[in-house]
Amino acid sequence: MSGGLTRPLAASRRVVLTGLGVLSSIGTGIAQYTEGLRVGRSGASPIKAFETTGFDHTNACEVHDFSPAEWVRGQQPESLGRASQFAVAGSRMAIEDSLWSLDALRSRRGLIAIGTTDGEGDHIDQLVRAEIETGPQAHDPAVARGVTPHRMPLAVAREFGLSTVETMTVVTACSAGNYAIGHGFDSIRGGEVEYALCGGADAISRRTFVGFSRMGSIAPDVCRPFDKDRKGILTGEGSGFVMMESLESALARGARIHAEVLGYGLSCDAYHQVAPQQDGVARCMSAALRNSGVSPAEVDFISAHGTGTKANDVVESRAIREVFGTTPPRTVSLKSMLGHTMGAASALGLIGCALAIKHGFIPPTIHHRETDPECEIDCVPNMSVPADVRIAQNNSLAFGGNNAVVLLGRYGDR
Amino acid sequence: MMTPGVVAISDWSVVSPYGLGKDVFAEGLHGARGTVTQLDVDHWRSAEDRACLVPGFDVREVLGRKGTRTMDRLTGLAVAAIGELLATTGVDDDDARLAATGLVLGTTIGSAQSTMDFIRPSYTADVPYFVDPAQMPNAAMNGVAARSAIWHRLKGPNATVAGGHAAGLHALGYARRLLRSGHATDVVCGGAEEYSTARSWLEHRSRGGERATAVPGEGCAVLMLTAAENAAESAQAELLAVYNSVCLDSDFRQSVRACLLDLLGRAGASPSDVWAASSSDSPGAGTAEKEVVVEVFGSEAAERVAVTELVGDTGCASAGFQIAAILAAAAEDEAAIGKLAVVSSSDRDGTVAGALLRLRGPAC
Repeated sequence: MSGGLTRPLAASRRVVLTGLGVLSSIGTGIAQYTEGLRVGRSGASPIKAFETTGFDHTNACEVHDFSPAEWVRGQQPESLGRASQFAVAGSRMAIEDSLWSLDALRSRRGLIAIGTTDGEGDHIDQLVRAEIETGPQAHDPAVARGVTPHRMPLAVAREFGLSTVETMTVVTACSAGNYAIGHGFDSIRGGEVEYALCGGADAISRRTFVGFSRMGSIAPDVCRPFDKDRKGILTGEGSGFVMMESLESALARGARIHAEVLGYGLSCDAYHQVAPQQDGVARCMSAALRNSGVSPAEVDFISAHGTGTKANDVVESRAIREVFGTTPPRTVSLKSMLGHTMGAASALGLIGCALAIKHGFIPPTIHHRETDPECEIDCVPNMSVPADVRIAQNNSLAFGGNNAVVLLGRYGDR
Repeated sequence: MMTPGVVAISDWSVVSPYGLGKDVFAEGLHGARGTVTQLDVDHWRSAEDRACLVPGFDVREVLGRKGTRTMDRLTGLAVAAIGELLATTGVDDDDARLAATGLVLGTTIGSAQSTMDFIRPSYTADVPYFVDPAQMPNAAMNGVAARSAIWHRLKGPNATVAGGHAAGLHALGYARRLLRSGHATDVVCGGAEEYSTARSWLEHRSRGGERATAVPGEGCAVLMLTAAENAAESAQAELLAVYNSVCLDSDFRQSVRACLLDLLGRAGASPSDVWAASSSDSPGAGTAEKEVVVEVFGSEAAERVAVTELVGDTGCASAGFQIAAILAAAAEDEAAIGKLAVVSSSDRDGTVAGALLRLRGPAC
């Protein structure tokens, strides 16, 4: 028993997903994303966003042909950095999918919670380059002002004219999306807000790419999670957003319910700044199952953190077996398709889980040649499979041991 | 008896321009002693020549040489303050309790200095990946919370939330929901901001060359939050409500007023119940915010506790320092028992926030 949990407070409203929005290298919008997951589309391509001379490995999973003016209409698109534009796009799709009118949202108490790793990370690099050339007096004021990541949910609020809305910006690196969604879950369950627009967004970051390159963690060609010859990640970008509300609210307005959010768990390894730790990961999954009232045997598939690094995939597989036993659920990594989209990753993973539940399939781990014998899980290699998915688990394990796991269930089963 | 479902502030501590720990902080505030010092401009090369620094704060001297080789100043401030808090509350002797304790820190952008220092060689060296991998965790915004958890063996929920000047109240709202939802029974909550050349220039350039309204400060303020049913009778305060909202049109007066009245409404409280009302003096929005606080709560409550003029502009640590200052003052004044305190904050990017406390725990 870990975590010292108390029982959650009285007002335990059930929480459902009524809107989904996706911007990714394998599809924009739910229809394209679902199809991409079904067919196992790869988002990998040579990096275009920045100069790659001097780097050994130069692929990433970029969103091509993104047109800011198509999505950002409530403010000047160029006043927002790319990650904020992505957040607005993903939020817009989730709001439209939810069929909430803007008037309805504006008159209600809500929450916008966004997870991001880099925020407008490129702004920092611009300032550094200006400083190298001239000095810090050359920092562009607009660029300097634009570095703060909490501007992201404010940009979303501004886009849709929402003021009676709380904002929360979680910056827990690769698990930030799950954290944001978990916070939304707590906020709705506790009856403190009527809607929660939550998700994650990150734009391709040269600085992140440089860091992972230096660590030798960038894959030479594609990302191969759980593969014997896996060589690391491909960095990626995108955004994933969900609209959450209470079940009562959704039923009252006749909303379409994609899935139910059953609960979530958090833990901290408190072990190493970069390497994951099996105990910390297992504790997080156990906490999530407990919070959700779900037993391990009920989980039909796991969307793993599955970065494709040597360390992550083996530690995560072992933690899964520790919690689920010798026949764990099928465990896939969407990062094989999407690359590592940082703050967006777990949000995109969660939406993948919702679509799996809705449409009755498990997406594949693509680029798979031979499973690492040390990763004793069935990673559904290369081709999606039809499956009756009632409960799905979405893992995220960040640098610094910031772990977050969210569970979704098919609405109507419980 | 504590109200069920309410969160208690068991204790607090700080690393501040008065030094290490709550006692020197409380003494400094009580004596209204200023902490502005002249900077060695050759060392700092920053945009101003004065700041409120944590005196003599060298990470390796304060925390020792073991395990601190790659620890940056921001992380050192947080690790030191959390250490003070854990010692004050006696939790540092209890392994089981530490393992279940969470940590939520507010931030602006992590360490601007470490982030820029990390990436700079990539632009100046012969090869673009010539960066120091040991510095990568310092260049991540969650690096401080992660390193602090490793140092202090805190294995509960660990989160970093960004909110600029209002970050401390965003963190407080996040931590409060963790506790109310049963994810933890104890959470260390606060914020840390370092003085650095990088931060100095970022702030200076963000103002577009305008003068700062306050001298930059630094430090870390942390609270121990506990689910009320587990809190000791000696808890310092109950956290009745935390709220934030968005100012869409730069009319901070209107947004701050709406936020503070909403906060009072949630607790069924009235302005006359409020003994102290602290405002953030944040750049950009702080003047309007202060005017509203005075209008709503009166000048006696609004002037009860001064923070920025004594310890400087502490950025994302400011809300934590506002709370620490209120609790320090309340601990010395019986008139505070059972009274309310309001903490107001804002950030020029468009967020306004507030927290409502009932002082001296199980009152009324």
